[in-house]
Amino acid sequence: MSKPILTFCALLICMMAAVISQASEPVRRTIIYDGIVTEVASAPTSLRASKAADLWVNLNDLKRATGFEVKPKGVCRDELCFPIPRARQRTFLDKRGSVTWFNLMEFARLVLQPVAYDMEQAVWFFGPRADEQNGYIATLEAPDFTLPDMNGKMHSLSDFRGKKVLLLTWASW
Amino acid sequence: MKDKNFEIVSIAQDTGGARDAGPWITAAKPEYTVLIDTKHLVTRLYNMVNVPTAVWINEEGRIVRPNEVAYVDNRFTSLHRLEAAPYLDALRDWLAKGEESVFAMSEKELKAQMAEQNTDWALAAAEFGLAEYLYRKGEQVASIKHYKEAQRLNPDNWNYKRQAWALSDAERDYGTSFQKEVQKLGGKPYYAPRKLPETKKP
Repeated sequence: MSKPILTFCALLICMMAAVISQASEPVRRTIIYDGIVTEVASAPTSLRASKAADLWVNLNDLKRATGFEVKPKGVCRDELCFPIPRARQRTFLDKRGSVTWFNLMEFARLVLQPVAYDMEQAVWFFGPRADEQNGYIATLEAPDFTLPDMNGKMHSLSDFRGKKVLLLTWASW
Repeated sequence: MKDKNFEIVSIAQDTGGARDAGPWITAAKPEYTVLIDTKHLVTRLYNMVNVPTAVWINEEGRIVRPNEVAYVDNRFTSLHRLEAAPYLDALRDWLAKGEESVFAMSEKELKAQMAEQNTDWALAAAEFGLAEYLYRKGEQVASIKHYKEAQRLNPDNWNYKRQAWALSDAERDYGTSFQKEVQKLGGKPYYAPRKLPETKKP
């Protein structure tokens, strides 16, 4: 076979491989973090091989989806920083080419954060960390929230400071 | 129970939002604050497992009586056999006496009653959150698997069950119904019983 034909064949194989790998990739992945929905880029297949449910995100998407950034002292958001255990560096971070990927599931395990996921739908739902969820029991301070009334006007529990409040939940079902 | 230093904040735990909760609110013509919580945020924040559930909060925003079943009228007394009157009397006592009321709990009593979310309950809440997201996106079939997982991880949470059943054909998708589950309990209540202390008669 002549050289141009070989080159053409090689190119064709490359293109086919690209098409196949695209077809088996979910087009997008969805993260729900602190109740906020963000679509993120999918990591290379080779990174995901070890544990299918692990969610690798690039550092840009990490910031967009969670507000956390990888810094020398750990994974940080404002004043809050979680150091990555030295022995587990490689389970958290992996550099492929120019892109560094961060294992958000491993981070959730580190900070005691529940995660529910659906592989077919490519959705990962992160609940609050255990300290965020349970902290009010130590202080007895009623957790604050902001919700709409029937007319869409927003109200916070803290709007009623200075009054006694009967907080009462009900449902139509 | 009008008092300028008292507010009722009534919150519908309804995925269907105003579509489902609205008619109830319109019918009740409430003179208090009624909010709609489509994501069941309050259920999760306060670790609630049932409706109606009430929490008493003082002027400083501190809990003085944690989650408890709270019927404030007798509309459903035939179902749960709980009269509203003793609860309303307790509430009036607290409004009059504040922290001196026998119904306002001490820090020790509160901490003994308030349970931290264990890892199963925390995961159940995340599964429920995921199910809610999928349901709202129109992925009803996909949502059922996660509603079921939430119910399995925290079987004491009736909100997870009743809300999921209400969004579905419960018999078809879950093989059960609220009536059937209540019958299974054979007369035992499906909520933690109310434990109001006896008031000392003067």
